[in-house]
Amino acid sequence: MHWLRAWFSRLASIVFSRHRHEREFSAEIENHLQMHLEDNLRAGMSPERARREALMKLGGVEQTKESYRERRSLPVLETLAQDVRYALRTLRKNPGFALVAVLTLALGIGANSAIFSLVNGIVLRPLPFANPDRLVGMTAYYPKGPFVVMRDRSQTMDIVANTDGTEFNLTGVEVPVRLLGTEVSGNWFHVLGVRPEMGRVFQDGEDQPGKDAVVILSYTLWQRRFGADPYIIGKAITLEGISRQVVGVMPASFRFPSPQTQLWVPLHLDPRVSGDYWGNSYMPLLARLRPGATLAQARNDLAALRPQILAAFAWRMPADSWIKTSLQPMQELMVGDVRTKFVILLAAVGLLLLIACANVANLLLARAATRQREIAVRTALGAGRWRILRQLMTESVLMAVLGAALGLAGATYGLSVLKSALPADTPRIADVAIDARVLLFTAVLTILTGLLFGVMPSMGASKVDLTKALKTGGERGATGGHKLSSSLIVGEVAVAAVLVIGAGLLVKSLWNLSNTSPGFRPENILTARITPDQSFCEVQGRCQGFYSELLDRVRALPDVKDAAAVNGLPLSGDWETIPSDIQGFTIAPGAHVPMLMERVVTPDYLQLMNIPLLQGRTLNESDAAPNAERVLLVSQSTAERLWPGKDAVGQHVKPRWLNTWWQVVGVVGDVKEFSMKRDLTDWLDGEVYTPYGPHAIRGRGPESAPAEMTLLLRTSQQQSQLGDALQSVVAQLNSDVPVSQVQMLRGWVEEAVAGPKATASLFSLFAALALALGAVGIYGVISYSVAQRTREIGIRMAMGAKRREVLLLVVGESTRLALSGVMIGLGGALLLTRLMVSELYGVQSFDPKTYVAVAFLVLIVALAASYLPARRAMHVDPVIALRHE
Amino acid sequence: MGDKADVWQGTLALMVLKTLQAMGAMHGYGIARRIEQVSGDQLLVNYGTLYPALLKLEQEGYIASEWGVSDNNRKAKFYELTRAGTKQVAKEEREWAQMSEILARFLAPGEERS
Repeated sequence: MHWLRAWFSRLASIVFSRHRHEREFSAEIENHLQMHLEDNLRAGMSPERARREALMKLGGVEQTKESYRERRSLPVLETLAQDVRYALRTLRKNPGFALVAVLTLALGIGANSAIFSLVNGIVLRPLPFANPDRLVGMTAYYPKGPFVVMRDRSQTMDIVANTDGTEFNLTGVEVPVRLLGTEVSGNWFHVLGVRPEMGRVFQDGEDQPGKDAVVILSYTLWQRRFGADPYIIGKAITLEGISRQVVGVMPASFRFPSPQTQLWVPLHLDPRVSGDYWGNSYMPLLARLRPGATLAQARNDLAALRPQILAAFAWRMPADSWIKTSLQPMQELMVGDVRTKFVILLAAVGLLLLIACANVANLLLARAATRQREIAVRTALGAGRWRILRQLMTESVLMAVLGAALGLAGATYGLSVLKSALPADTPRIADVAIDARVLLFTAVLTILTGLLFGVMPSMGASKVDLTKALKTGGERGATGGHKLSSSLIVGEVAVAAVLVIGAGLLVKSLWNLSNTSPGFRPENILTARITPDQSFCEVQGRCQGFYSELLDRVRALPDVKDAAAVNGLPLSGDWETIPSDIQGFTIAPGAHVPMLMERVVTPDYLQLMNIPLLQGRTLNESDAAPNAERVLLVSQSTAERLWPGKDAVGQHVKPRWLNTWWQVVGVVGDVKEFSMKRDLTDWLDGEVYTPYGPHAIRGRGPESAPAEMTLLLRTSQQQSQLGDALQSVVAQLNSDVPVSQVQMLRGWVEEAVAGPKATASLFSLFAALALALGAVGIYGVISYSVAQRTREIGIRMAMGAKRREVLLLVVGESTRLALSGVMIGLGGALLLTRLMVSELYGVQSFDPKTYVAVAFLVLIVALAASYLPARRAMHVDPVIALRHE
Repeated sequence: MGDKADVWQGTLALMVLKTLQAMGAMHGYGIARRIEQVSGDQLLVNYGTLYPALLKLEQEGYIASEWGVSDNNRKAKFYELTRAGTKQVAKEEREWAQMSEILARFLAPGEERS
């Protein structure tokens, strides 16, 4: 341990009391010599001889001091500290240069840190569960029945299920509220390996009917609605009219499956309700690999279970259902969709950093020329090339470190802006923070950056021709440096062009998206979810009565022109699906059961939304009568898909578990139900509209009415006032019914483009920064070149060159650079923009218009950047220029 | 001078420690002279190498230093053995004895070994 102590003491002496040590040792040596001298004199030597002897015996005062110094501290660190001090001094002496360089680097490094924080938090960081690498997920959804079969029979996995999200009314409190919860299988918490903050998690078997009247609260819900009541465990709360006992509270960090999840209740696994158990409520399944089991084994297991599932079904399923379903590591499954987006953004900031490096390298090159004399002097004094190189590299890395410090501060702020700018449904967005890994990334990036932009200029600078540099006074830079900086500029322009083209394509996509018709007219429509308890609606006709009474009263409100109801709004992510039998439609081999999205509507919904009727007739009030014939409408693309070349009107469709066929009576226009890019998801085969009435069905029990309807009001008024009026109408009718998601329909449409908008704006920001940095770079290089060519320009003017010709000379140079850059950039963009095809809409990755426009834009910026230096060149006075040399 | 041996780096530390143990607090010059005297002027101490060695021992915590006044009324830095130093002397002495015994066996005439 004594060597460690010595090491610390040496380390400390780099920083502390260097000067005192130095003085003390000088005194000690002086004493030593004096004592020796006196002894020698006493021995009878002459004074000169005595002194010489003493010095010889010591081995030289300076040498002794040097070896003492080396022992006192750590020489390697000592030089490093020296270099850093020297570098700081140099930077202080050139504040302008230092500021520009550090700011440029801060921009580059900060942008990278911020985007990496996102990638780290969302894509890279392990999920906050026990041994997350053993968790896998299935690529398709399953109903409850198949889940139970798999859970009970799997040899390799512990399988769990949860609904994507289920809404619950919380009543018995002051104002009834609608909460987002999720239903989970009994073993769900255990398999994820999470612990509660208070109380307990669910146990196996608590998903059986009769045992499932329990609930676990999220930390936020516990805090907000229950005042962080420490005695909440064991108390009962009323959800959907059913009393449930609170058994646990989860910690604040547990936000799964969604950050909005406020409570967890057991899955209702009742095989007696076959429509629900086998047909509806498709759920994502997760599983933990059992000890020793591999992913490959689990995949085989899953394949082996498939026929057993199909055999267990209450009705016959197509033989190839779920044939393509596979297992994937859970993390991949969760972030799959956003990964491309982040790769694109990370590439953008990477390129931005490259430009920043090129700019700083250019600054260094220009400065290296003026520092030649200093370096030559140091070389003459005996500094080796390696020593000088090390000094210059220390300077670069120091600048990078300063830039990184500033950049990190910026990234911290930028990240909070980013988090609010990104769509709220981005997975794991709440977990994003600057953590140790981000800091490590930034540190490594910083060192690399410092080396990258420092190495070329330093190599050049450290290789000086002594005699020449000292003789000429070192004002003239080497021409090699200029060639290097020109190619840096070409590279910079190329990279900037790539980024601007990328941004152009994204902005064009966003433009296309924003101008795509959603298939309905969202203007002046206020929407609100009005949701009586499930138990309230289970009594036949009660729910229908409630809604029709509500619609009547709402229509009577001033400023309400029309009102309708639907079970889920387009673009809201709210939909019911029914696995269906379709007359005259053969399921293609390998395809799944046809799944239809069902919009249950009041007859005036289509008219209120301005969804056009294309064929047949629309729905009317009498279609909802209890004994009326069951009818429905289909959307245009559904008609074309299910009955190509045939008349859709008159065809029949039914849910798999019913025996009555429903007749198609009309075809209506397509609506962007899923996203602005696509009408429906891949796994949906069509969309139907059914009348809201006693027949209308929802998952729970084959014939129960949909409890969850959204009201739409066409209005001319402001949302807030009408929202309040609506609230009081509902309260008068039934004080236990919550009103939630009061929002203009326009808002849903805007949210649907929030994701592309965030990507496009971020990318455009980076592209604009890249272009600005590129312009600064061109300005710097051209200015420098003009300054160097002052004499040449002077001679030309003395020989009779016109100012215009001088202008052309300078502008010509920058045009040449910019043009080569743009050409390379266009080529690069052709290759790189292919990566972003999935983010584009209505525009090809090779869009000639964008490419040409960007080429012109970059050229114009380049010319503008060289305007100032060119003007300076035009005003060179030949007399002064020639005398100057 | 050619017949005098230079002090090995490793042994210098032990000699310093041993000297301080025998003589109590001493200044650098005194230590150097004492080592030469004890060796019967057989050893040549390059006084310059002594100081880094002293510094190293101090950094390792085996000796401590303090400014004081020498016999001839001169301000000088005095070195003294610490408790850790005392232990270290014993340890190094043991090791040295062992080492020299092994070495002696190697250097002894071959027939005596068998």
